[in-house]
Amino acid sequence: MNNHVEIKELVSAYFDGQATTQEKRLVEDHLLECASCQEYYRQLHKLSATLNEWTNEDLSPDLEQKIQRGLKEALMDREKAKKTKHPLFKVGVGGGGILAVILVLVLSMQVYNKGSFEGRIKSPTDNVGPQYVPKDDQIARAVQSAESDTLQRRASIDNKIAAAISPSQQLASQKQIDDLSKAEVVKDERNSRAPEKKLKESTYFQGGAPMNVPASQVAKRARRRELGGFQESSYGAYDLAAGYVRSDAVQPETNMLYPQIAGNTEQYDRIYENEFLTVKDNPLSTLSIDVDTASYSNMRRFLNSNQLPPPDAVRIEELINYFNYDYPNPTGEHPFTVTTKASVCPWNKAHQLVQIGVQGKTLNTDELLPSNLVFLIDVSGSMNQPDKLPLLKTAFKMMVNQLGDNERVAIVVYAGAAGKVLDSTPGSNKQAIIQAIDNLNAGGSTAGGAGIKLAYSIARENFIKEGNNRVILATDGDFNVGASSNAEMIRLIEEERKAGVFLTVVGFGTGNYKDSRMEQIADKGNGNYYYIDTQKEAKKVFVSELGSTLFTIAKDVKIQIEFNPSKIKAYKLIGYENRVLAKEDFNDDTKDAGELGAGHTVTALYEITPIDSKEEYGNVDEMVYQQTQVIQSKDLMTVKLRYKDPDADTSKLIKQVITESDITNEPAGDFQFAAAVAEFGLLLRNSKFKGDASYQDVLMQAKNAKGEDSYGYREEFINLVEKAQTLDVRVPEGPGIMFKN
Amino acid sequence: MEQRDEEIMMEYQSGKDPQAVSIIFFRYKSRVLNFCLRILGNRADAEDVTGDVFLTLFSRQYAYDPKAKFSTWLYTVARNRCIDRVRKRKNLVSVWFSSQESKEHKQWDIEDTEDLANDQLAKREAASRVKRAIRQLPYEQREAVILREYHRLSYDEISQILNCSLEKVKILIFRGRESLREQLKSFIEEERR
Repeated sequence: MNNHVEIKELVSAYFDGQATTQEKRLVEDHLLECASCQEYYRQLHKLSATLNEWTNEDLSPDLEQKIQRGLKEALMDREKAKKTKHPLFKVGVGGGGILAVILVLVLSMQVYNKGSFEGRIKSPTDNVGPQYVPKDDQIARAVQSAESDTLQRRASIDNKIAAAISPSQQLASQKQIDDLSKAEVVKDERNSRAPEKKLKESTYFQGGAPMNVPASQVAKRARRRELGGFQESSYGAYDLAAGYVRSDAVQPETNMLYPQIAGNTEQYDRIYENEFLTVKDNPLSTLSIDVDTASYSNMRRFLNSNQLPPPDAVRIEELINYFNYDYPNPTGEHPFTVTTKASVCPWNKAHQLVQIGVQGKTLNTDELLPSNLVFLIDVSGSMNQPDKLPLLKTAFKMMVNQLGDNERVAIVVYAGAAGKVLDSTPGSNKQAIIQAIDNLNAGGSTAGGAGIKLAYSIARENFIKEGNNRVILATDGDFNVGASSNAEMIRLIEEERKAGVFLTVVGFGTGNYKDSRMEQIADKGNGNYYYIDTQKEAKKVFVSELGSTLFTIAKDVKIQIEFNPSKIKAYKLIGYENRVLAKEDFNDDTKDAGELGAGHTVTALYEITPIDSKEEYGNVDEMVYQQTQVIQSKDLMTVKLRYKDPDADTSKLIKQVITESDITNEPAGDFQFAAAVAEFGLLLRNSKFKGDASYQDVLMQAKNAKGEDSYGYREEFINLVEKAQTLDVRVPEGPGIMFKN
Repeated sequence: MEQRDEEIMMEYQSGKDPQAVSIIFFRYKSRVLNFCLRILGNRADAEDVTGDVFLTLFSRQYAYDPKAKFSTWLYTVARNRCIDRVRKRKNLVSVWFSSQESKEHKQWDIEDTEDLANDQLAKREAASRVKRAIRQLPYEQREAVILREYHRLSYDEISQILNCSLEKVKILIFRGRESLREQLKSFIEEERR
């Protein structure tokens, strides 16, 4: 083989995994000694990556509809043909039934497509860019190119990876290779069948009702909710089941509003919005804090691609907490301050709005504890999109640039298998870390479970006792091999949490995004959860707010509020739907709650109805055997807050009282801005409690309260509101508005 | 349990479970569209052809034999439709890629209003350079490279779709790559700075 063109031809085939065994040996031998062919081989990698800068596009909604219509017509024609052929079928006892069922199916084709189908078909290649053929040796090669330039090390890496996964998982990934989509569905089935006691909400597929969930399961879940001691007691089994039927009925509207979503397999948990609760029956409101902001960036991503986010993707508390508010910095014994304010509610003048703000201590650089970080990076085929792996690389590089001698970084990747790419390395050795990040390539399926296990074991190996030990998981959320049911994953993470390793979950990408799972994982792992849609957001999370992202100053922070029944008739907690705790949980130190990072601010808003209001809430007869003595007081409410120091097991208590005189006419400054964000959230969720809320009003308030806005986040919010205003056809802007058919 | 494409098609054709064919649509819509888009280089034609492919599939004008692999067969159909389209286009006027830079195209280029940071711009620059480089490839090389680089098909499948020998596939891909490597030199060699 002295002809170089010929050998390069072979290298090209070898690169594609298409060389015969003999050719393969030839090429490998040649590559060992020929530098120019090694370079050529490397260039093929780079060429592949460069070509993929031309990313996949989606079908236009028009085309999508046209084809769906064509299909419907084809099916109808077929039915017609059948009918004329077998006229007796209609009269037949069973035949009539079958025919009716088929007709109903045809009529509901549209609904069916948007609903259950999306659950069933999640071939990763649907929305995803080119897929690496996930053969074992190719995965190895992807990792290999990440690991080093020389080919000789390939064998050692193969072994490493083989050691990292158990035989059973190897088997699983082998199956995966046989049929990617098949395994995908197995996972789904497992998810819906496994007894997920931890799962509080019914998971359903975005843009569609939970049609593929059998009624018995709905009832079971509803029962679980009741048993779970949820405060929104008004949602019994019956309501849930009713909601399940109702959601079919509103389906056409949903289709109109979120038309572009067809074929999408993103998942969001159903949010059952908090209701107004009467103070007489429910004087206590208890919640866990939530510092996550993922919902905001995800919402922004939707709006920037000219879609309204689905209501269940909007967690209002995460929108509010995306912004920093100017609360006083703590000086005393506690690592944070609590600020309370009250005013007239902007979207319902008969109500008042109460703000509870928590400000965490900011740490100076010399106060920062040493950190032991493990980056756990998803390099599966689905990450091979410009808004995933490349953005992820940029984001992590930004962070690495902030690190120094005090921090250590290890990198674990997972695709079809999990493998260590970088041993724990001091943060000052930036070059090594950045090079390792740069060399990551996407390919293969997703063994998330094995990855998490490996990352935690490395975190434990390098554990810093008096420090910050943290796994940072970056993924699009689709763990489709190995320990992959939610319940199993959560058990694993809860176990690791006890060892003192914290978890940060960073979400990337679109189309196959599993929001529900990521939030749960972060929540269970003593962690926080971000969604990165742009470089700007990466900068916010990994540069400007790195302290809050990495350093926990208080854990299990819970808030409990006692409302005064002589002043307040009813209240509604805005957002925090999946953070509501039972009243007993407040004093129970074994109950897990949210973590507060350095410099974090957390804001909770309550909408309250004053006692003199004529509004009626529920209708419960007066108690015959019990009488409650109401103590007259000028207080509106008492705010209690419990937290633990990061390494402590017992909690500390802070108390604060809000009185009537605290109420101002209009919210002002940061309070006004938070109120505007909440109002925006109500609009996006199309909440039944949105009152007089309007985009116009949100804009006015937000512009008014923009303040200094040195990072431009608030300005961006204003732009998003304007965008949503033009997209939302649910709210008529004035007379003569034309609805799209 | 998920059905294989071939099974679904069989049930569609025999009328056993005709609805299931929309699964086929979901599985392949993105693949077909993006294949046509990269081959034809303009959105309007690609959408037309994609619509054609699926509509004729549903109306059973094309006879699919369930013994053959469905994905390969569908790519073949799409490929043939693309060739028809190119021929037609050549007969009319030479509009080869001419609408690439037109308004219509820009409309579909989802504008990232968020960031105009340098990196983002560089990204878009890279994407448009890639488009141009692929556009200049001879037609057969273009087909082979696209099926390999963007659809990750095996040489065997590609040879079936292009109806040529394995050896030819190998050469087409190799030559295509050589040419792309030259065109995109600046991206591929930047690491060595």
